[in-house]
Amino acid sequence: MPLAYIFTKLIRDEMIKLTKPVELSLFMGNNIEDNENVRSVLKIYEESSNELLSIIEVSDPIIAKNYDVKHFPAILFINNEGKELIRYLAKPFGAEIRPFIDAISTFSGDPNYYESVIKENIEKIKPSIIKVMITNSCAYCPEIITFVNKFAIASKGKIKSVIIDIMAHPDISESHDVSSVPYTIINDKKTFIGMVGPEEVLQELIGGN
Amino acid sequence: MYNIDMDSLDLEKTYDLVVLGGGPTAIACAIYAARFALDVLIVGKIFGGLIATTDIVENYPGITSTSGQGLMEMFKDHMNSLNIPYITDEIRSIENAGDYYVLHSFFQKFKAKSICIATGSERRKLGIPGEAEFAGKGVSYCATCDGPFYIDKVVCIIGGSDSAAKEALFLAQNVRKVFIIYRKEEIRAEPINKKKVYENEKIEIINNTNVVEIVGKTNVERVIFDNGKELEVDGVFIEIGSIPNSEIAQRIGVKTSEKREIIINRKSETNISGIFAAGDVADAPFKQAITGVAEGVIAAYSAFDYLKEVKIEY
Ligand SMILES: Cc1cc2nc3c(=O)[nH]c(=O)nc-3n(C[C@H](O)[C@H](O)[C@H](O)COP(=O)(O)OP(=O)(O)OC[C@H]3O[C@@H](n4cnc5c(N)ncnc54)[C@H](O)[C@@H]3O)c2cc1C
Repeated sequence: MPLAYIFTKLIRDEMIKLTKPVELSLFMGNNIEDNENVRSVLKIYEESSNELLSIIEVSDPIIAKNYDVKHFPAILFINNEGKELIRYLAKPFGAEIRPFIDAISTFSGDPNYYESVIKENIEKIKPSIIKVMITNSCAYCPEIITFVNKFAIASKGKIKSVIIDIMAHPDISESHDVSSVPYTIINDKKTFIGMVGPEEVLQELIGGN
Repeated sequence: MYNIDMDSLDLEKTYDLVVLGGGPTAIACAIYAARFALDVLIVGKIFGGLIATTDIVENYPGITSTSGQGLMEMFKDHMNSLNIPYITDEIRSIENAGDYYVLHSFFQKFKAKSICIATGSERRKLGIPGEAEFAGKGVSYCATCDGPFYIDKVVCIIGGSDSAAKEALFLAQNVRKVFIIYRKEEIRAEPINKKKVYENEKIEIINNTNVVEIVGKTNVERVIFDNGKELEVDGVFIEIGSIPNSEIAQRIGVKTSEKREIIINRKSETNISGIFAAGDVADAPFKQAITGVAEGVIAAYSAFDYLKEVKIEY
C-alpha cells in the first residue's frame, strides 16, 4: 500500500473524531509551489473533519507582519483572543500527522493532560518560545511536538511552540547550527539535542526565570 | 485521538495493568491485556521505542519489509482500535501500596493492580573524549534521525552489531563513504545484512580497532584510533549496544542480572508478585522486536492469571 494512501487514510480516520469547531490560519508567501504543498495537505484535514475544521488562508502581509511571520507557508493556531499558540513551519504529513491532529483536538477544547501542572506553575513561567527542529524521518520528533504543543495550549500562549522542518527551512537550522534532530530550543538559549521529556522542558521553563 | 486519549483515561481508577514503555513490547502486552478484558493503561516516555529509529525492518513475520516507524504506526493503529489509553510520560518511581502499586511521574500518579515493565534500554555511550562535546555536532546515536545531515559526506559507525550494519546500509544511501569501526575481527550482523554490507561499495570495515577520541573545532573533524592512526570524518554514529532501563524496577526490589537486565521466568514474572517484565529490559539472550512482543504477550497473560488469582474486589 503506498505510504501517501496510508497517511491520507490516517488523517481521514482521525479527523472524523473531531467534535468541536477549530480554525487554523495558513499564512502564504510568494512561493506558489510551497503554498500549494501545504495547502493541499490541510485540505485533506479540512475535508475529513465534518466541516469542523476551517483553514483560513492569509496572504495579507500586514497580518503576517502583525504575527511576525517571516517564513512561509506557516500554519498558526490562534486563539479567540487573537493570541498565537502554535506555529508550524512544517507540512503536517507522515510522522507529523498524529501530533498535528492531537494539537487540533486539544486546541478545540479536548482535555489536556498537562493542563493542571501548567496552570499550577503558570506564574513561575515567563513568556517563552519553544522551537522544535525536526526532519520527517526523525522518530522522536513527534513525541516532543505533542507535549510542547499541549504546553502552549494549556498556557494560553504564554508558552508558544514553533515546529520547524529544517529541510524546508535550512536557513533556520543553519542559524542555530543544527546537525541533529530533534533539536529543541527554549527562548533561543537553552538547547536540548535528541529526545527530551515534558518534565525537563517544564523545569527549564520554570527554572529559566 | 492521538497518544493521550483523555476520554478513556481515568486517573482515579486502579488499573488492572499499567504497562511501562512505548515500544513494541509494551504495545503488544497492552493489546493482549485489552483482549483479555483487563483495564489497561500504557505510560511510555517515547512512543515507538528503539525500533522506531531503524530505517528498515525485514524480519518481522508477516511484514516483508517496512520501516521501524511504519511498524510502530501499525502497532498504534491496532492499539487505537482497542481504545487503549496511552500516556506520554516517564514513570519515576513505583510504590507498593499493599493491594496495589502506585506509579509516580512528575505530572501524575497512576494506580495499578499489576505492572508490566517494558522500558527497554538506553543507547550505550562510548565514554571517550569528544563524545559529549560533539553530541549533536557530528556525534549521533540515531542514523534515521540525523542521516539527512550527512548527504555526500564521510561518516563512521562505531560498533559491529546487526544494528550497526543496518545503520551503515541506511547511511550509505546518501553519504559518500561509511566506515564501520569495530573492535573485533568480524562484524556480527545477521548474515543477510552482513552480505549486504560487504557488497556495498560505499562501506568499508576497519576491524580490530577502537576509537579513543573524537576531535574537531566546532564540529567533528576526525577520530583517533588506539593504534595512533586517524580518520577524517564529518559524522560519528555510535552503535555499541545498550543498557537496560531497569533502575526504577531495581529500586522496588526487582531482581536484575549483572548486566542490569530484569530477571524473568518463562511467564515473564519477576521476583515480585504482580510485577512482570518483558522485552529489551529483561534478560533474554537474543533481543528483537518479535521476542519482546512475545514476552509482552506472555506478561499480559500472566497478569490476567495473577488478577484472577488475587481476586481483588474494588
Ligand atoms: C538500529 C537498530 C535496528 C534494529 N533493527 C531491528 C530489526 O530489524 N528487527 C527487530 O526485530 N529488532 C530490531 N532492533 C531491536 C529492537 O529495536 C528492540 O529489540 C525492540 O525495540 C525492543 O522493544 P522494547 O519495547 O522492549 O524496548 P524499546 O523499544 O527500547 O522501548 C522501550 C520504551 O520504554 C520507554 N521508557 C523507558 N523508561 C521509561 C519510564 N521510566 N517510564 C515510561 N517509559 C519508559 C522508552 O521511552 C521506550 O518507549 C533494532 C535496534 C536498533 C537499535
